[in-house]
Amino acid sequence: MLGNALIGLREGLEASLVVSILVAFLVQTDRRRELPRVWLGVGAAIAVSIGVVLVLTLTEQALTFEAQEAFGGGLSIIAVGFVTWMIFWMRKAARSISSELRGGLEKAIAMGPVAVVVMAALAVGREGLETAIFFFAAVQAAGSTTGPLIGFLIGIAVSVVIAYLIYRGALSLNMGRFFSVTGVLLVFVAAGILAYGVHDLQEAGILPGLYTLAFDVSDAVPADSWYGTLLKGVFNFSPQTTVLEAVVWVAYVAVVLTLFLRPVRRAVPPRSDAPAASAV
Amino acid sequence: MSARPVLAALAASLAAVVVVGGCTSTATPQGAPGQPGPITVSASDTACDLSSATAPAGTISFTIRNAGSKVTEFYVYGAGDRIIGEVENIGPGLTRPLTVEVPQGGTYTTACKPGMVGDGIRAPFTVTGNAAAAVEGDAALAAAVQGYQRYTTSQTEALVAKTGEFTEAIKRGDVPAAQALYPVSRTYWERIEPVAESFGDIDPKIDGREDDERDPGVEFTGYHRLEKDLWVTGLQPDSAAMADRLMADVRDLQGRVGTVSLTPLQLANGAKELLDEVATGKVTGEEDRYSHTDLWDFRANVDGSQAAVAALRPVIDQRDPVLGQTLDQRFAALDALLENYRSGDGFKLYTELTPDDTKKMTEAVDGVSEPVSQVAGIIAA
Repeated sequence: MLGNALIGLREGLEASLVVSILVAFLVQTDRRRELPRVWLGVGAAIAVSIGVVLVLTLTEQALTFEAQEAFGGGLSIIAVGFVTWMIFWMRKAARSISSELRGGLEKAIAMGPVAVVVMAALAVGREGLETAIFFFAAVQAAGSTTGPLIGFLIGIAVSVVIAYLIYRGALSLNMGRFFSVTGVLLVFVAAGILAYGVHDLQEAGILPGLYTLAFDVSDAVPADSWYGTLLKGVFNFSPQTTVLEAVVWVAYVAVVLTLFLRPVRRAVPPRSDAPAASAV
Repeated sequence: MSARPVLAALAASLAAVVVVGGCTSTATPQGAPGQPGPITVSASDTACDLSSATAPAGTISFTIRNAGSKVTEFYVYGAGDRIIGEVENIGPGLTRPLTVEVPQGGTYTTACKPGMVGDGIRAPFTVTGNAAAAVEGDAALAAAVQGYQRYTTSQTEALVAKTGEFTEAIKRGDVPAAQALYPVSRTYWERIEPVAESFGDIDPKIDGREDDERDPGVEFTGYHRLEKDLWVTGLQPDSAAMADRLMADVRDLQGRVGTVSLTPLQLANGAKELLDEVATGKVTGEEDRYSHTDLWDFRANVDGSQAAVAALRPVIDQRDPVLGQTLDQRFAALDALLENYRSGDGFKLYTELTPDDTKKMTEAVDGVSEPVSQVAGIIAA
């Protein structure tokens, strides 16, 4: 029961965290009219995930292991691209606000409706296939024991509650703080998704170095503990991290966080710009 | 752009990934003897029991049931813990399937990881036979040819590089260096000689002997002409020109090897020809009559023969399960015998061998030749 609940919680958090920040951002900037597009993207990802699982089951086919890992890893890395773009999109919005150009805000953060749909779909879809397969297994087991299915649904429900609390918490911040806090949070979330995608590709044998570990803290942070689950769900933290994962994580955080936190340049930049504070 | 095309694009790309990404059938093979459906894995917090620790090569299905209280994972590992397949997130009370493609027989490892940590509860898993049987025979033969062509390509590259060093040494007049490089550069030539011989005109130019019959006006060129200069007559005024000619011929060979399309039967016959070469040219000391480095060539011929047989091995195993084992034993015996004549980086000179030594070599080569000569019959069948 608990084990299945934690799986539901982890998968649910991985999917809902980015979506909740996206929704909070749209609400904060008075763009509620974009919200249906978010739900459209989420719905599409869920529908396609379940559809693929159903088709595979009915045709007695299964994805090969490599295909499944390449799919999850590839989508994760594409998702990182979108989240990174969202981070800088927030930064732009924050700048417009800090310079009191409320009128300019609308223009600064105008983005295609397509981008909203795709981002929401990717955030959910990258874990959608694995979750749908798991859900399907839980439904099948319900013939003999409903425990797994109930546990899984409880986990999903808890993740939705946590995502909602993050959303409310984000909304309670004033505009300026909202952008910097959620932006920094997103940097770490995206770095985690990137490392996770790299790990998937390592498992599929597309990238090398699956057994070259940077560290192993699985004794201190068991993967099946509630805190291990939360760390994995929010930051994609894995107790056994490979060197390649660690390298891309550090590189991503170093570059993106530095760019995100660098001071907003004035209209007339001084001749020698002070170097940006290093975030490492 | 409204959302509908986006949805369509998303769905299409997902579907494309599934189609392109590779699917595997989970259907139970109908009427396959000895295949009573998937192997069941009973996993718990302390155990990982498989209903069978062996399966025939091809598509292997597992059904993993987690009766424990911890979330578990199930892995199938190949050599060096390469992941052949895995299922994560097997929650307590869940049953999840895993289908893996294992075309090659051998020893694999299964593992359950209760709590998703550590190396898990491991057990060896044996895969029998080769799935080449499942592949069409033609596909297996095509794969054999491709594998062997990769071998000839890589050997030819090394041949060009080493012969370059050898001929440079001659042109510098550095006799000791050239003498040391002579058997080394020939190694790559001797490994792929049947392929080179298939071009007819190249072999006499590169590997002709002084007493071979030649058309009027055709000179004695190639390795053995340079061998004679290095060991018997001393470097001649035209040695450097001969070195350049050898290099040009070797490059010509490289250009042609890339375009040759071998047949499986040529591979089989080539494996046999190489052993005949050993019997007629190496064990007799005929080939390297001036330098006496025949054992280097001997080793290289056997290497080439082994490479051709190895490329054909899936097809051989499919059609005659016993022959492969015989080949392994005989090649191993020959390898062991040759190891006795190692000396430093190379081998003893032919002049250091006793009649008893050459007798043993003849017997060992004949021992390999006999099963290798059956390969062509199997391939042609």
